[in-house]
Amino acid sequence: MADVQVPKQQKCIAILWPSFLVAIVATGLFFSAFDPDDLYPFGEQTEISRLGVYSIGFLSFWLVSAVSGIGTLYFAMTNCMRNLPESRDQ
Amino acid sequence: MTNPDATGPATGSRSDEQVAESLYAKAEKIYPRQVHGLFARLRVLGVLGLLGIYYILPWLRWDGQQALLLDLPARKFHIFFVTLWPQDFFYLAVLLIIAGLTLFFVTALAGRVWCGYACPQTVWTEAFLWIERKVEGDRMQQQKLDALPLNARKFRIKASKHFLWIAFSAWTGFTFVGYFTPIIELGQRLLTLHLGPWETFWVVFYGFATYGNAGFMREQVCKYMCPYARFQSAMFDKDTLVVSYIPVRGEPRGSRKRSDDPVEKGLGDCIDCTLCVQVCPTGIDIRDGLQYECIACSACIDACDDVMDKMGYEKGLIKYTTEHAMKGGKTHILRPRIIIYAIILMAIFVAFAWSFSQRISLGLDVIRDRNTLYRETGEGLIENVYILKVLNMDASGHEYDLRVSGIPGLSLHKDMAVIRVDSGGVLELPVRLRADEADLDARSSNVVFELVATDDDALVAREDARFLGPQ
Repeated sequence: MADVQVPKQQKCIAILWPSFLVAIVATGLFFSAFDPDDLYPFGEQTEISRLGVYSIGFLSFWLVSAVSGIGTLYFAMTNCMRNLPESRDQ
Repeated sequence: MTNPDATGPATGSRSDEQVAESLYAKAEKIYPRQVHGLFARLRVLGVLGLLGIYYILPWLRWDGQQALLLDLPARKFHIFFVTLWPQDFFYLAVLLIIAGLTLFFVTALAGRVWCGYACPQTVWTEAFLWIERKVEGDRMQQQKLDALPLNARKFRIKASKHFLWIAFSAWTGFTFVGYFTPIIELGQRLLTLHLGPWETFWVVFYGFATYGNAGFMREQVCKYMCPYARFQSAMFDKDTLVVSYIPVRGEPRGSRKRSDDPVEKGLGDCIDCTLCVQVCPTGIDIRDGLQYECIACSACIDACDDVMDKMGYEKGLIKYTTEHAMKGGKTHILRPRIIIYAIILMAIFVAFAWSFSQRISLGLDVIRDRNTLYRETGEGLIENVYILKVLNMDASGHEYDLRVSGIPGLSLHKDMAVIRVDSGGVLELPVRLRADEADLDARSSNVVFELVATDDDALVAREDARFLGPQ
């Protein structure tokens, strides 16, 4: 397996897709518990509509889980691929 | 991944080399051939029914408002005669669990019927394939067109297809947002170009996802992205309905004339026409045995039955069957797995229905005044201030009595003489509690607010709060 490079496209999907699913669940749970109108980001009330806060919340959750996915992929690769001599010169 | 002209042993698995080659190879475009037959008609029925429901549902009205509106901006879900609030999150979670378990149950019983007939991915892909066929022609014409270099005719055909796809996707995205924000007003805002930025974002986002998934990704969503496709095999056993080729009957496969006697030629019933491969939307050869790519759409059954008819052979060389039946045994429909799934499903459903019927449509939240812990009144009593949020989730308006208990001699003071909340309304009610310092045992004591509807004793809500005093 070490000599097979995972295509970039597949890496992107592996990062973006599971984090998308996680973001949906996280958004649902978070905003079921908290009303955007009761939130005061940085101590200030915002002018953003609820739909806007939901959307920003969803995109933030997606971003955060995607970043975590990048980390997972990176560390998984260091172990099984990057350290192998035959893949180093590729 | 598959070679339409491949001939080989029915049970032959792909060699390791082939697998390694195919794993990271760029997926080739699959041109599923159109198929006619019983299962194709069933799927068309499913597609029309489900798409019909999807596009029509948000336009239905109930009691003067949108019948199904998951009103995120107002934090209320209207589902026909029921209105759910964030407090009812529990019911939604249980409903999702019921849906999941139902999927498990159906999978154990009938295999991947969800994938073949009801999954949105299948349904929208079918719709997109239909548009593609109307514009580009059948499988052969599509393949020929794609092989051509770009010219005026090809450009015109491709542009028409993408225009129709995008229009259909945009309508899909608009409908999607219409489930979450009132669709009639949304339509008016769209027509007058006053769509909000986030509404626009979600219409485009969902539309783009539809266009990409149903137009381009197609079977790759099932093969690489679908979590259900990965774990559905855990629900399978030897009595689960699967689409399968019957190798003992079909092998050895081989082409022949209609007049040939297969026994004389030493052939099985499979004439190796590869139609089953051509119609497969995931591009597999069902004759290689059960594969996880198979979404049990039964297009191959329809195609093969047709061929068997033409050859004058018995139908069912590819058919719905079970592993037990294929080995000559009996299929057990009632088996521990099915019974256990059914019992769990029934139990949760009954508990859900009972609990939902007992749902009290009154909400009470108590928020302590954050600015002061307590204050002393002119009479030397300790006073705490609270804001009560009364939420009437009932279909009609009510008046309520408020009582409080927990400390001897505790008195309740409010500015409002009558607590009245309309249906669906929220009332913020500031109240003050006063107690004698001598009656307080500790710095912080527990008090209980109790709110009861004056006309219905069953409509009652209780909420605990802290009463703070000096050391």
